[in-house]
Amino acid sequence: MRGRPVLGTLAVLGYIIMIVPILFVVSTAFTAGDALTFPPQGLSLRWFGEALAYQPFISALVSSLQLAVVSTALALLLGVPVTLAIQRGKIPGKSLVEGLFLSPLVVPELVVGLALYQQIMIGLHQTSFVALLVGHTVLLLPYAVRVTGASLALADPAVEEAARGLGASPLRTFFSVTLPLLRPGIFSAGLLSFVTSFNNVPLSLLLQSRQFRTLPVTMLDYVQQSYDPMIAAMSTLILAGTVVIAIVAEKTVGFAKIFGGINK
Amino acid sequence: MTNAAEFSGVTQSYGETIAVDNLNLQIEEGKLTTLLGPSGCGKTTTLRMLAGYITPSAGTITINGVDATRLPPEKRNLGMVFQSYALFPHLTVADNVGFGLKLRKVPAAKRRELVLHNLDLVGLAHLADRKPKALSGGQQQRVALARAIAISPSLLLLDEPLSNLDARLRVQMRSEIRRIQAETGLTVVLVTHDQEEALEMSDVMVVMRAGKVMQTGAPATVFTAPANRFVADFLGYENFLATADGSLLTVRPEHLRVGTAGGTTGGAPATGLNLPAVVTDSVYRGVDHIVTMTATDAAGQQTTLVSTTRRDTLSSDQSGVRPGDRVLAQARDHEIVRLAA
Repeated sequence: MRGRPVLGTLAVLGYIIMIVPILFVVSTAFTAGDALTFPPQGLSLRWFGEALAYQPFISALVSSLQLAVVSTALALLLGVPVTLAIQRGKIPGKSLVEGLFLSPLVVPELVVGLALYQQIMIGLHQTSFVALLVGHTVLLLPYAVRVTGASLALADPAVEEAARGLGASPLRTFFSVTLPLLRPGIFSAGLLSFVTSFNNVPLSLLLQSRQFRTLPVTMLDYVQQSYDPMIAAMSTLILAGTVVIAIVAEKTVGFAKIFGGINK
Repeated sequence: MTNAAEFSGVTQSYGETIAVDNLNLQIEEGKLTTLLGPSGCGKTTTLRMLAGYITPSAGTITINGVDATRLPPEKRNLGMVFQSYALFPHLTVADNVGFGLKLRKVPAAKRRELVLHNLDLVGLAHLADRKPKALSGGQQQRVALARAIAISPSLLLLDEPLSNLDARLRVQMRSEIRRIQAETGLTVVLVTHDQEEALEMSDVMVVMRAGKVMQTGAPATVFTAPANRFVADFLGYENFLATADGSLLTVRPEHLRVGTAGGTTGGAPATGLNLPAVVTDSVYRGVDHIVTMTATDAAGQQTTLVSTTRRDTLSSDQSGVRPGDRVLAQARDHEIVRLAA
């Protein structure tokens, strides 16, 4: 930071803007009082207890986790082969295919949600879990394709050629060389996808049902009706979960590797 | 004399551009053949077709007498060393070298033995358990070499293997590769754009240009008797003089001497070249002294001549020449090469 006062100040400002609101939420979660105010009145864990005992939150958390895990897995299972085909394959109209798989980034989610509602829930009589699974998988595809694509673009194609030359079939080359090379990319794509699905509101709002409702939607409902510190406690719990994921990611793969070897 | 590999009428085109044009080439068994030429001459495409990474648009490639034109790389049993080393970053040095052996289902104990033997051949047995990232560029290149020869390939293919190394290491690795070839008896095909490397390492040199072979032969033959102006140019001939009968003469700069009009150095050749010239530049460059001149050749064309002389063999009237001086550009008969066109 020394010798770069402008850059340093901007960095500090950025951190403040990002972190301070979170600090407000976290500190109000520990209040002993009944109101969602700052500064908190007294210190207690009572709202954490209430949040964990509140059945709609817990069942919604389970639903959200199920949806995030399954849709992330599906997005990766579809996205990684697509990335390989785009980057290494000899297919005509590569950029068109890539554009198609990146398009969910620009199509309004409400439109996607409405289409899925009409076709899958009304048309095919499927449950809202199925509709949400399709919607989230589509939503996550751009991340799977783009992030693994970035790490594949950084990998030297000669490494795969070397494996072929040494006697490995294309399939063997994929499993013993390409996949290990892509592991950090797939891991980060998975992480991003999981978080994106877990946080998603628009699709979940449209496609929810009484049997299947995700956590963000449930929390949104709750805030609209009652304004108490339980919502801050639930947010803090989610935040803690995110931090744990981040720490695990840093310890196992490392952020530099996950985000494309910026610091390499 | 048998051929380890043979190209017959091989053409490779990408859309409009032709990378390799009707190539006929024999790779002799047990020899080190170099494909030499500037970038874009088709040498790398030729090697990659031999390795199976590119399928020719036309023609056939045989390896050990068997048609391999459409065989995928994994069925060719060739050892390839890439310019970028292309080591497997997630595997140890030993596992890199043992990769091909594992695919060939060599039992673990035997594999370990072969891995160490091949690492020993390149002098890196002590680094067997390191990851490639922990190795220097030169060491990585040796590992790549060990990995390629561990599978006992029918040919060893080297794609500009030394171009990423620093100058000193590059020269060292030349003799290292020659030694390994002598010890293993492998047929080697080396791609390079470095004429010195090709001259030093090859048994057979293939000079290429625009997808065509310009000349094939032993280094000493190609160097002393280049077939045409391109080969001569590429091998460092600099002085080109048209003759009255339409052929072209060339003299290497180190063979061209500067004689002064009055007294001459080393005696004026009776039959060689003795051409009046005007000095345009005279510079000192450490080991050499370089004199640039202009002269008019027998066809009446103005041409630039360059003479380099080792400073320790320089006579006083040579080092004393200044721009504007009238001199004689001289060469002996056997130093003059007659080119076809």
